[in-house]
Amino acid sequence: MYPAVIEDYQRPASIDEALKAAARYDAGEALFLAGGQSLMQAMKSRLVRPRCVIDLQAVKDLKGVSASGAGVRIGAMTRYVEIAKEAKLKGAYGALGDAAAHVGDRQVRNRGTIGGSLCWNYLAACMPAANLGVGSSMELISASGKKRTLVADEFIKGPLDTARTDDEVLVATTLPAAPSKAGSAYKKWGLVTDALPVIGVAVYVELDGGGAISKARFAVGGLATGPKRAKGAEAALIGKKASDAAAIAAAAEKASAELETQSDLWADSAYRKNLIRSLGGEMIALASKRAAGQ
Amino acid sequence: MSTKPGANWVGAKFNRKEDHRLITGKGRYLADLSMPGALHLVFVRSEQAHAKIKKIEVSAAKALPGVVMVVTGEDIKTKIKPMPQPVVQPALAANYPKHWPLAVGKVKFHGEPIAAIVARDKYVAADAAELVRAEYEPLPYIGDPEKALADKSNRVHDEWPDNVIFQMTFTGGAEAEKNDAEVDRIFKSADVVVRQRFKTHRCGVTPMETRGALMSWDDSDGLTAYITTQRPHIDRLALSDILEIPAEKIRVIAPRDQGGGFGVKAPFYREPMLVAYLTRELKRPIRWVESRQEHLMAVSQERDQIHDIEVAASKDGKLLALRNRGVADCGDGCEGVYWGFLMPFLGCVELPNAYDWPIGDVKLKVAVTNKSALSPARAFGEFPTRFAMERVIDMVAKKCGMEPADFRRKNVVKHLPHTSITGEYFDSGDFVKVWDNLMNQVDLKGFRREQEAARKQGRYLGIGFGLGVELSGVASELLVPMESQPGYGAATVRIDPRAKVIVFEGDAPQGQGHETTVAQAVAASFGIHPNDIVVTTGDTGTTPFGSGTIGARAGSYFVSAAVMACTELKRKIARFMIHDLKVENATMDDFEFADGDIVFKKNSNIKKSFREMVERIIMAPINMPAGESGGLEHTAFFEAAKPMICFNADCAKVEIDINTGQFKILSWTTSEDVGQIINPQIVEGQMQGAVVQGLSNAMFEQFVYDENGQQLTADFENYKLATAADVPEIKVTHAPTPCPHTPLGSRGIGEGRPSSVPGTISNAICDALAPFGIEITELPLRPNQIWQKIQAAKKKAAD
Amino acid sequence: MNKTVKITINGEVFEQSVPVRMLLSDFIREVASLTGTHIGCTYEGVCGACTVQVDGEAVKSCLMLASQADGHNVTTIEGLAKDGKLSPLQQAFNDHHALQCGFCTPGILMNMDEFLKVNPNPTDDEIRTGLVGNLCRCTGYAHIIDAVRDAAKRAR
Ligand SMILES: Cc1cc2nc3c(=O)[nH]c(=O)nc-3n(C[C@H](O)[C@H](O)[C@H](O)COP(=O)(O)OP(=O)(O)OC[C@H]3O[C@@H](n4cnc5c(N)ncnc54)[C@H](O)[C@@H]3O)c2cc1C
Ligand code: FES
Ligand code: FES
Repeated sequence: MYPAVIEDYQRPASIDEALKAAARYDAGEALFLAGGQSLMQAMKSRLVRPRCVIDLQAVKDLKGVSASGAGVRIGAMTRYVEIAKEAKLKGAYGALGDAAAHVGDRQVRNRGTIGGSLCWNYLAACMPAANLGVGSSMELISASGKKRTLVADEFIKGPLDTARTDDEVLVATTLPAAPSKAGSAYKKWGLVTDALPVIGVAVYVELDGGGAISKARFAVGGLATGPKRAKGAEAALIGKKASDAAAIAAAAEKASAELETQSDLWADSAYRKNLIRSLGGEMIALASKRAAGQ
Repeated sequence: MSTKPGANWVGAKFNRKEDHRLITGKGRYLADLSMPGALHLVFVRSEQAHAKIKKIEVSAAKALPGVVMVVTGEDIKTKIKPMPQPVVQPALAANYPKHWPLAVGKVKFHGEPIAAIVARDKYVAADAAELVRAEYEPLPYIGDPEKALADKSNRVHDEWPDNVIFQMTFTGGAEAEKNDAEVDRIFKSADVVVRQRFKTHRCGVTPMETRGALMSWDDSDGLTAYITTQRPHIDRLALSDILEIPAEKIRVIAPRDQGGGFGVKAPFYREPMLVAYLTRELKRPIRWVESRQEHLMAVSQERDQIHDIEVAASKDGKLLALRNRGVADCGDGCEGVYWGFLMPFLGCVELPNAYDWPIGDVKLKVAVTNKSALSPARAFGEFPTRFAMERVIDMVAKKCGMEPADFRRKNVVKHLPHTSITGEYFDSGDFVKVWDNLMNQVDLKGFRREQEAARKQGRYLGIGFGLGVELSGVASELLVPMESQPGYGAATVRIDPRAKVIVFEGDAPQGQGHETTVAQAVAASFGIHPNDIVVTTGDTGTTPFGSGTIGARAGSYFVSAAVMACTELKRKIARFMIHDLKVENATMDDFEFADGDIVFKKNSNIKKSFREMVERIIMAPINMPAGESGGLEHTAFFEAAKPMICFNADCAKVEIDINTGQFKILSWTTSEDVGQIINPQIVEGQMQGAVVQGLSNAMFEQFVYDENGQQLTADFENYKLATAADVPEIKVTHAPTPCPHTPLGSRGIGEGRPSSVPGTISNAICDALAPFGIEITELPLRPNQIWQKIQAAKKKAAD
Repeated sequence: MNKTVKITINGEVFEQSVPVRMLLSDFIREVASLTGTHIGCTYEGVCGACTVQVDGEAVKSCLMLASQADGHNVTTIEGLAKDGKLSPLQQAFNDHHALQCGFCTPGILMNMDEFLKVNPNPTDDEIRTGLVGNLCRCTGYAHIIDAVRDAAKRAR
């Protein structure tokens, strides 16, 4: 299939120009185009019919990963291929690299961006769950010049829904400076290799001086209700050591019990719960290992 | 003259001749062909599974600038003769549904074409298709084949009394009743009886290139039709009947390059009929290139069979009797040549597989439903029956307390030729030799020890086996009753004055490497180089009649015909040699064709170059032997007296994670009898590809219709194919027995090859999970379902 | 509705006014008449048959608008052989019988050509995961892995 008629194509060189271009159209009529790895599918199947496409490829301010005392900042137009090999994200934010490295295939990773994935927030997607897991924040700017920053928990809503308004550009994802003993990990399962996740689990932990978990985040993607945190599991992990296999299993079990799962073509609800259990246990262990610097 | 063609090229590794154009982007597939001024045709397809068509509103579509024509079923039903037509109707007693290329009166499956747009631009055609509005009155969806067979009140085809398209008893011949009574008697007294229902889901072998057609009309020449097709000669006859155009005014050409077929491009489909009709109406070239969505909605769906199988055996592990009640879901059945039911029909014929059954009672019923008609896919019809058979054999072995491998060896057919209980003829081969070769590759005893040790550590390893007797070509004996078509292979061999050889083949390959295989056989025959041979395929204007690229006909039938034609031409050349060189006491067998020369064996000083002799016979037809004429061209038809087979055995080893049901294939080993190998790489490629297709079908692919008949799997995101990272490398080994019925001893291979795969992999999984007593009886093999079975077994053990 | 784009394909500049909605894959096949780039999907962008390189990186040309490629360099399968000489990867595909129908092959070559530049010493598992974006229905992949492995070896 082919996209419906598109009246105009714009390639702004700055965020400001992009916002101005969008402002010429009614809400939803002009769409930002990042890597196109979701938007092109949607346009070709005519799920969306933009009058204007605003291609962000030339906006330099949206690209790249930078680190400062305040933490790490990932431009919205940073591609999976870059995130997957980004040294600044190892350890504490390893979950993002894990997720990026297994999105679809090489060709998709050569174009798809973290910002596009977050703004699209598809039901079976990796980046939204991974970002919810590591607790990143989203920097947005609107046509009126208004800037706001939302934590992932506020930004990410149900499937195909976010807190972003149509006239806002997602500028970057920011990650706070992580304490020395922090680690995260992400893994998904799909029917074939690197397929869209049937379930994806991201876990972030911080360890105290004694090696016990002092802070934990546990997020799951692939749910009909959108990416969700398993707060019971997070609470259950506090004070537990990574070597305590029974405690890890119990926390994963808790996540599996507290989240609602659906049945569809790929898995029934019980199997999804089992995936949360098995991937959850594995990711708690891996995140803890990374936190311990192993 | 040597009648045994020089063996140097036959069996040699030789890089494929097809490849250069394909790896440089110069292949010419259907979508790459162009005709000046060609219009684009797009089908509008039904959004409902079963509904009366109240109205189809096309005015908005027609009004769109760039749209040339919009047609619906009502517009064409008096202009095109409906199907069925005799040339694409089997000689089997069945109900053959009447249909046109576009739905008339009601729609019968989600995806049936209801209208067509012809426009100058393909983007505009897609815009217009969106503007067509159909009003429907929904009818109850018929989706369950067993219910469909029982329920006469709700019918797919209103003019039929019920939903039965085909039913048959395959055993006992005229004495079927007596036979069935005897089978009953054996079951009553047998030591060991296993009864089990096996279900194989709807899946198939969608090729990477979809279907398409590009046609033009000329008032004097008629129709020139490029079609993605495995059987151009049959398409030509069928188009002639449907459109009432004399066949001599139709030329069908299968593009030289086709992106896979695997059976999917073998039927005579509705879409090319309409393209042909509109091309003639508009007298302008028309192109239709199928989208993947259309493809996955309308074609490439196969398998979909249920088999209730019963096996009787003695306690020492000898098979005594087989009983089977098969049910197949054939969709709406509107599909020329196959009608959705030929696949389950042949599946039942091949159900007994390589086992020596004293007696059996095999019956099949095929239902029509509101789904797309089954269309052929490699392992034609037998993918489900092989799955059922290979699984039940393991279950019987287990009940007899035997190692399934030993049970197979004991019961495999030992003496060929053999006629199976369903009447299938196995011409030649040595099944035990193939089996023993497999067992030599896999250390079963060692594996059992490893398995035992692994289980103690909570790891679950399993080994599984499977066999397959497959058709090597389809003999007239089978093809005439089955498809009203001849089985012979035909080849025209033309030698040109500069000693290049052109081979013409009526069948149309789609990647099997015919250009190379036949070049090697012809090169060996004339003692020349394969690069001096070119092959023209699939053009009804230039090639001899052939029923199509089906049932592994190339290595068996087509190559044999080409070799026969070569032999005929060599005889003629030898007669000229004897005459020209005044060779005394020579027979034709005294000449050898080697290295570009023709040599008198008794005196090697007497020789001529192949090129010299060719030029002499073609260009200088004077002073000839008595009764001879000039020129070097011959068409030969090859047909073995009886059907032929090839044979294979598979072994898989797996490891399962019982916490998730996810499994890894540790190794896959095969043993093959492909007869005389012509090109080892091509044979190996066929086997690698076939096993992976089988795995992809068994593990990933599944067409799903929801409770309203909506097809949910019409794209590659939802219809999942195995990727490179999902499958193992296959270790292919050989234990050949040359076929005594073909000139080279070759066998046709590849078509049936995936069929032993689902049983083999399932047996390996069941073997791994033996401590849980798990039997897999349904495909696909999804971790989800395996995990559920483990859960159920654990629960049962705990209770 | 229309936009003039300037796209360099295999070193040749194509400057043309095309509809904004035109896919890059159609620009390559229909405007530049380079039909080695194949189409196997409707909208999903899964099969990889349409893979080309944009500025040296493998991408699916069915998931791009021609407008997005404006000002960029595209390499298609027709641009892989230099001066009539097959690239080592192409030659390895012929030597290892890594193709049957060949429909998937251009996309695979364009992906693997870049893959080997990024990872000149791949393991078999890396080749296999590198190929996830290219479906092949004929070969069962084994010979493709052999060919890529061998091409890497020859380049060393
Ligand atoms: C074959 C295939 C396999 C895939 N497999 C996976 C997988 O395994 N896991 C997974 O998570 N995803 C998968 N995807 C989806 C992929 O991750 C997409 O790249 C991603 O969802 C979208 O990112 P993009 O840069 O391509 O955005 P686009 O498609 O360009 O845009 C997506 C949406 O975000 C909006 N948008 C983009 N950038 C901005 C911005 N800066 N500000 C405001 N709005 C913006 C667009 O307007 C659009 O609505 C797959 C896709 C394909 C084609
Ligand atoms: S056509 Fe582009 S990925 Fe299939
Ligand atoms: S060679 Fe046919 S699809 Fe790959």
